[in-house]
Amino acid sequence: MISRNPPRWPALAAATLAIALLAPRAGALALGEAAPKSDVLMKNVDGRELSIASVQGAKGTLVLFTCNHCPWVKAWEGRMVQIAAQARQRGIGAIAINPNDPAAYPEDSYENMQKRARERGYGFPYVVDSTSDVARAFGATHTPEAFLFDARGALVYHGAIDDNARQPGKVKARYLSDAVKAVAAGKPVAAAETKALGCSIKFRGGK
Amino acid sequence: MDLDQLAIHANRFLAVVRRVPRLPFVTLAIAALASCSAPPASRSPGLTILPASASDLIALAARPGASATLVNVWATWCVPCREEFPDLLRLGRRYRERGLRLMLVSADFDSAAARAFLVTQGVAFPTYFKTGDDMGFINTLSPRWSGALPATFVYDGAGRLVRFWEGKAGHGQFEQAVRAAMGRTDRPHPKEKTR
Repeated sequence: MISRNPPRWPALAAATLAIALLAPRAGALALGEAAPKSDVLMKNVDGRELSIASVQGAKGTLVLFTCNHCPWVKAWEGRMVQIAAQARQRGIGAIAINPNDPAAYPEDSYENMQKRARERGYGFPYVVDSTSDVARAFGATHTPEAFLFDARGALVYHGAIDDNARQPGKVKARYLSDAVKAVAAGKPVAAAETKALGCSIKFRGGK
Repeated sequence: MDLDQLAIHANRFLAVVRRVPRLPFVTLAIAALASCSAPPASRSPGLTILPASASDLIALAARPGASATLVNVWATWCVPCREEFPDLLRLGRRYRERGLRLMLVSADFDSAAARAFLVTQGVAFPTYFKTGDDMGFINTLSPRWSGALPATFVYDGAGRLVRFWEGKAGHGQFEQAVRAAMGRTDRPHPKEKTR
């Protein structure tokens, strides 16, 4: 005998799948939220212990998760350094954080970070997230990944440096640079969430 | 690529184009012809690297004839991608007869680097090379994808995305996802019945 009530599980499964597919990715810091673990001290390439809070600017704070080894970082590095310098000139603090386990990527060791910051003229702190817990708290997944907070400490931009890592001359959308200018001017950020391919963060102690 | 293989690929393209004329296969067909005129890779005669947008990949994953499709986006510079590659290829070999379609998509800056790596891995089938801007590519494949590599998408036989994750996986995770996708298929591949 055929049941008049068809089983509901296919519909439930489809609904669950649809929700899972449409939901924003789990764990990523949402727009409007404050920087987590902003008081955690991290070792800078100059030997000082710094926190995100300690570099906060009057107009905002730029947090860049980055590293040494990633080809995407290398492609964007010049632009990252330039944008961070512009941010600092405009009253926005900047800090670059390396969350990678150097056991997986020896190029990301503290000594190599010091060398990189010196060679490329980083005019901002480049610190070690020694447990990767700061990156975990932000929900960062890859390098480079930018988080920009406004003067009130609210996240107003999350994402990529611009829309073309490999060909700087063909950049059409300067996401981070535009966001920095908007925040410095106290204006809303037009493209607040962007994406680009990047290197997965190798979290210490597994993900 | 020998003449038989060329004929097979040409027939598949024509069959799909006839069946779904609006799908964006024109660029892929052009690329396939272009790749045929290029010198063959010395140790992987069946290897081709076709440029593909995210929409192309989704359309290819929905082609009839597979009980599941696994799309893996990788790059030669990505250590976890290289680490999981042998498991992916092993899965592809084990499940080919059960109707698994394996689509490897390089996100390298340079396709020559991808080709060199694929040759060392003994890949002798068509593969793909990401085209288009990153954000469109990422969000079209999945709005939940942050952009971290590797990224794996598993579709059922009807081209529905049933599993997605970013980061490295092992053979067990790949296999579980593929089996789940095959179980969801409305039109099981005939070979599945004889498993």
